[in-house]
Parts: sequence; structure tokens; C-alpha cells
Amino acid sequence: MKKLIIITSVVLTLTLIAGCTNKSVVRYGDAAEVETTDISFGSTDLQKVAGEMTDSLLLSPVVGTLTANSRPIMFVESIKNKTSEHIDTESITDSISTKLLRSGKFRFVDMGRVEAARKQLDYQQNSGMVDANKAMQFGKQVGAQYMLYGNLASIVKSNKDQSDVYYKFTLRLMDLESGLVEWADETEIRKTKGKEFVSW
Amino acid sequence: MMKTLLLTSLTLLTFFFSGLANADYDRNKAVAVEKVLFGTVVSARNISQEELIQDKNSGWKTFGGALIGGVIGNQFGGGSGKDIATVLGAIAGGAIANNRSQAKTVVIHLVELMIEVECAEQQCQQFMVIQDYDQQMVFHHQDAVRMVYLANGNVRIDKQF
Repeated sequence: MKKLIIITSVVLTLTLIAGCTNKSVVRYGDAAEVETTDISFGSTDLQKVAGEMTDSLLLSPVVGTLTANSRPIMFVESIKNKTSEHIDTESITDSISTKLLRSGKFRFVDMGRVEAARKQLDYQQNSGMVDANKAMQFGKQVGAQYMLYGNLASIVKSNKDQSDVYYKFTLRLMDLESGLVEWADETEIRKTKGKEFVSW
Repeated sequence: MMKTLLLTSLTLLTFFFSGLANADYDRNKAVAVEKVLFGTVVSARNISQEELIQDKNSGWKTFGGALIGGVIGNQFGGGSGKDIATVLGAIAGGAIANNRSQAKTVVIHLVELMIEVECAEQQCQQFMVIQDYDQQMVFHHQDAVRMVYLANGNVRIDKQF
């Protein structure tokens, strides 16, 4: 009887270990679920930053006045990443501009696609393939009135037991003609990593 | 007996799982930063460890001179050149130690990057930075980069996007 228990126990342990080492599992998860894999900037932080900034911008009284009778045209300048991490800040601005576009209050010009647009217009005008009456004309684009720009900074402190990261994301809206900063806001994130008794 | 077996099984499993926990990538790690400068790559050139050792033997004629007024000079203060030689010497020395212990040539690839920092008040500064070659992030002419001054005294070049 004892032998049987020993054998069963050993076999069970080995099966568990072997099963875990050789099996990779793919699952679909909730994209909005809180991600705490490690302390560095992650998807939850990106969603929080983009969400809070868009809400703040859209609810601001100044922006309410700007968008009361028109849909201002904006362009997004890249976010300056001042952290140690390699963060795709373009993804943050993509999320913010998409949310703002969805609100229907703003229009955007995409500076990242200027060269592609120029090539297409050049093709329409000069290739001889497109009906001249229907070809899009050069020099008819509308210039942006406002510029959205920002910074992402971090302060990191750690000792042997605990790590603490503080992120500060600042976003500003500048009137390109007057140079005035019409709106600004910042959002903060604090993450700490400490030791736990049971952890793997 | 049963208890011992259970404990052994649990211990085995715990060791196994804790072994899986550590996976880290330096560039994505949140560490303390002193400042960050933004600029573009003027030139990127791979330099070998042997080239570094050769330059060390010739009194840092190539890299030492270029770095005195640059990042390492600023970072270690004074721009005396002595500290720069110490830093580069440590990198070169690392390879020599490896050679002795492993009895074979260990070549650590380094990349020499000339970075032009965004101009401020009509002044454009260029810095030469030597860092290890990273297959995940290979630099080319005109790449938009960040020059990250880490609090531990290192400088790291990282692509902006």
C-alpha cells in the first residue's frame, strides 16, 4: 500500500512537471484586463493614459469653446519619451487621436503619411493614367490649426525589497497661429513591485 | 511518510515554477534616468573588441579623443580623458579576462554612433557614443534616436520609435 502511494505521488509530480515544460497554451484574453506582468510600462498604462487624456481634453471648457461652432484641425507631434524604457509613444498618440476623431469634435492631418499622399497626388497629376478633370489637385490641403504634443517621464526608485515607478504623462494643445497653449493636463501612474511570500 | 512525500512534491513544483519567473529585457526595464536628449544618427559603424584593444594600446587615439568632449566626458566630469580611458579600458579588459578563462577568443561587438542632438538656440551638438551591438535594434543613418543618460552613469542610445 505504502509503495503504491509513493509511486503514485512520484508519478503525479513528474507528470505535472513534464506537462508544464512541454505545453504551451494560447488563449484569448480581455484586451482591457489589468496587466501586471512586470513593473515596466504596459498595456494598462497605455489605456489609462490615452483614456484619461482624451476625457480631460473633451471635457475641458476651453476645448468646448473651440469646438462649439467648428471642428478644429489638429496634428499630433510625437510624444517625447523621457523614460529609460523603449516605449512605442506613437501607439499612445494613435489611441488619443482615434478617440478624439471618434468624438467628432476634431479633425486631424497625419504628418506621417504626407509622403504617401504626395506620391499619390503626383501619380494622379503626372502619370497620364488619371482623368485630368477628376484628379486631385496639389495645393488644396488644409493646414492644421492646433498641435497636440507631450512628454512621458518616469522616476524610478528601488531597493532590495521593493521597486517603485512613477510615470507622468503631460499633454498640451497649442494654437499654431498664436503660439498659445490652449489646454494642458497630466496624468500620473504609480506602480510598485514588492516581494510576496508565495510567488511564481 | 505521506507528509514528507507531499512536501517533497510541493517543493519540487515550487522550484520549478520559480525558475520560470525571470525574463527581462534591458531596453524595456524601468530604471532611473538623469536626462534624455533627442537627435538623429549621423553615422553608425560596428567596431570589434580587437579594434578597441588595439586603440587602447595606441593610447586611445581614435575613440578616446572623440569621447573626451562627448557623452562619456560629460558623464564622468572634467573631460580629462583619464576616466574615458578607464571606461573603455574596462570594456576591453572584460574581453581579455574572458579570453583567459575560456581559452578562446571572445569578440564583443560594439557600435560607434555619431549622434546629432536636436539643435537648441542655433547650436547643434554631436556626440560619439560607443555601445554594444544589439541585434534587436540596429542603427542606421538618419534614425531618430534618444540619448538616455541613466542614473548609474551609463549612456544608452535607443530608437525613438
